[in-house]
Amino acid sequence: MSGPAWVRLDNASNIFLAARSDSDPKVFRMSAELDHEVDPARLQAALDETYDRYPLYHVVLRSGVFWYYLQDSDLRPVVTAEDQHTCAPIYQPGRRNLLFRVMHHRRRIILEIFHALSDGTGALWFLTDLLEAYCATGTPRMDERVEEPTTHGLSVDSFGHYFRRRRRSGSADAFRAAVASSELPALAPAPVPPDTHVAKERPRGAKVFRVRGRLTPDSRTRVVELTMPAGQVLALARAEGVQLTMYLTALFFEAVRLASGGLGARRTLTASVPVNLRQFFPSTSPRNFFATVRVEHTYGEGADDVGSIGRQLEAQFRPKVTPEALERKVRRLIRLERMPVLRVLPRPFKDLVLGIVNRGVNRSLTVALSNLGRVALPEPAESRVGRMLFHVSAARPQFCAMSHAGLLTVSFTSPFSDTGHVREFARLLTGSGVDVTVAAARVTEDELAAVDA
Amino acid sequence: MRRCTECRVDVEGDWSRCPLCSASLAGEESPGPIPAVPLRFSRRRVFKALTITSILVILASFAAQLLFDREAAGIGALRSVWLGVCAMWLLAIMMVRKRSNVAKSTVYFVVLGGLVAVYWDYLTGWGAWSLTYAVPMLCISSIAALLITVAVMRIDAGDHIVYSGLTVLLGLTPVLFLGLGWVTSPLPSLICGALSFFTLVSLQQTTGREARHELRKRLHL
Repeated sequence: MSGPAWVRLDNASNIFLAARSDSDPKVFRMSAELDHEVDPARLQAALDETYDRYPLYHVVLRSGVFWYYLQDSDLRPVVTAEDQHTCAPIYQPGRRNLLFRVMHHRRRIILEIFHALSDGTGALWFLTDLLEAYCATGTPRMDERVEEPTTHGLSVDSFGHYFRRRRRSGSADAFRAAVASSELPALAPAPVPPDTHVAKERPRGAKVFRVRGRLTPDSRTRVVELTMPAGQVLALARAEGVQLTMYLTALFFEAVRLASGGLGARRTLTASVPVNLRQFFPSTSPRNFFATVRVEHTYGEGADDVGSIGRQLEAQFRPKVTPEALERKVRRLIRLERMPVLRVLPRPFKDLVLGIVNRGVNRSLTVALSNLGRVALPEPAESRVGRMLFHVSAARPQFCAMSHAGLLTVSFTSPFSDTGHVREFARLLTGSGVDVTVAAARVTEDELAAVDA
Repeated sequence: MRRCTECRVDVEGDWSRCPLCSASLAGEESPGPIPAVPLRFSRRRVFKALTITSILVILASFAAQLLFDREAAGIGALRSVWLGVCAMWLLAIMMVRKRSNVAKSTVYFVVLGGLVAVYWDYLTGWGAWSLTYAVPMLCISSIAALLITVAVMRIDAGDHIVYSGLTVLLGLTPVLFLGLGWVTSPLPSLICGALSFFTLVSLQQTTGREARHELRKRLHL
């Protein structure tokens, strides 16, 4: 084999390229707050060490006639101070740059990734290793991960190796075989066919409420971070008999309703929730490996308090996240991806088709959310890292939650300047006795002018 | 850390007002975890600059027409296209700027469209086609459009009544032109005047009270 290794970007990851826009560059950020100001030199050393273990992160994205492809590169990442707004564009056509960046600001270490490269879980692995390396610099460390490069790898060979190994491991599971033959286990959220179960619940023609607002002045993502003790919110969710993610979703719906000043005729609110497939189908690839599930609630048709909404949402959510239901969904996606007509379509047309599909899906979504859950880091990082945060560039109001060190962070992102829904969300929580701390990035001209003054 | 008593939240950073509800904050400021990144550009300013530049170019284009001869034959295809593009551009800018109020943008449309037509007529040696045909037809179609819009869209009477009334009153001006003998054919002006008159009467009957209330409010000294 000659030249740099490369691998095709599958149709499913293509959606991130097709759905990219000025206000939603399909970038997400994961950051960790340390107990001291970050030392850039140490961070660079830690990054160099971690980078060597993740061949996937060495790639640049290039476009072929039929597909985009990831190509190995000799580039080295450089740690920078945070000088851009959150989730600033990473991939720019024609520029061969790495698809992630590492920054620091005060006590925060920040990792930003282009979504076509990896998903939240994959990014969390990288960040975990980075934090571990950073916190361990200076202290001798047993390096027990010598073999790992192959599992986080890029080259077709290592993927082949990985899937062969998985097939050999005795799993005759049809889904695994399907994934294995699809070359890469990447599943994008957007081209999900409408769920028949949902269609039955909602009468045809019932309109989905969509949040509108004034775009931010330079298309940057508006972010507001809410930090709260995880225990307090968990207790609230338990009291209602709802799992945390669906409780937060119910709060989000209620906040959107309160901030909208009346839903009008569009009384159905929907949310798209990504589900990490690794929990059902073990995989060590950091590449995109999730499916999305949609839940919804229509106001004015029964109990509309947060607890009832949460229980309804959970009743919809649970049956959709069983391995069987997810397998069906994934099989459909893979069939779609392997459709011969779609495969021979030149890339710009694929982008066009996927863009149209994506716009159609967008029309049926009010909000989106993602909960990475509780994160545990290896020592010595665990005790030196406080809260951790998760942001994602958004085409609609969205929140990303994760918890660490007993602190739950809920980061709201939106393409719009308005923060009405965040205000209502925070007030719903503080009204229930939760201690909420707000951190927001300055976005509007007035907010930024207040700093210069 | 600062605190917003309205939202009952603590606020990190040097905010003087709550980033959620704009209420004043109390307490000592703390270092913010997120840096303030200057804007790459401001959508509002970009739009403003584009609008001002466009209007200047349009005005210059209209003014430049005066340097040419005023003859129907002399205007030529090139100048016609030039004028047409400028007129369309002007109306498009106006529509975008006034998009929030359909009734208001209709008034602007009638006035600006009428003025452009009259000017164009003047440039081509004054055949009176603008006052005879263009202005009455503009008024007729605008009144029809308004009636349809009000019937189809949910607009509060208070939001459109003044501008709808203005449009209808503008529809009566062709009758004035007719009276002054500025038109070559009376029919378009008569149709326009009749339509305006009936619309005015029906507006007066259906929303007269709201209109008077709205006018009292707006003309209050």
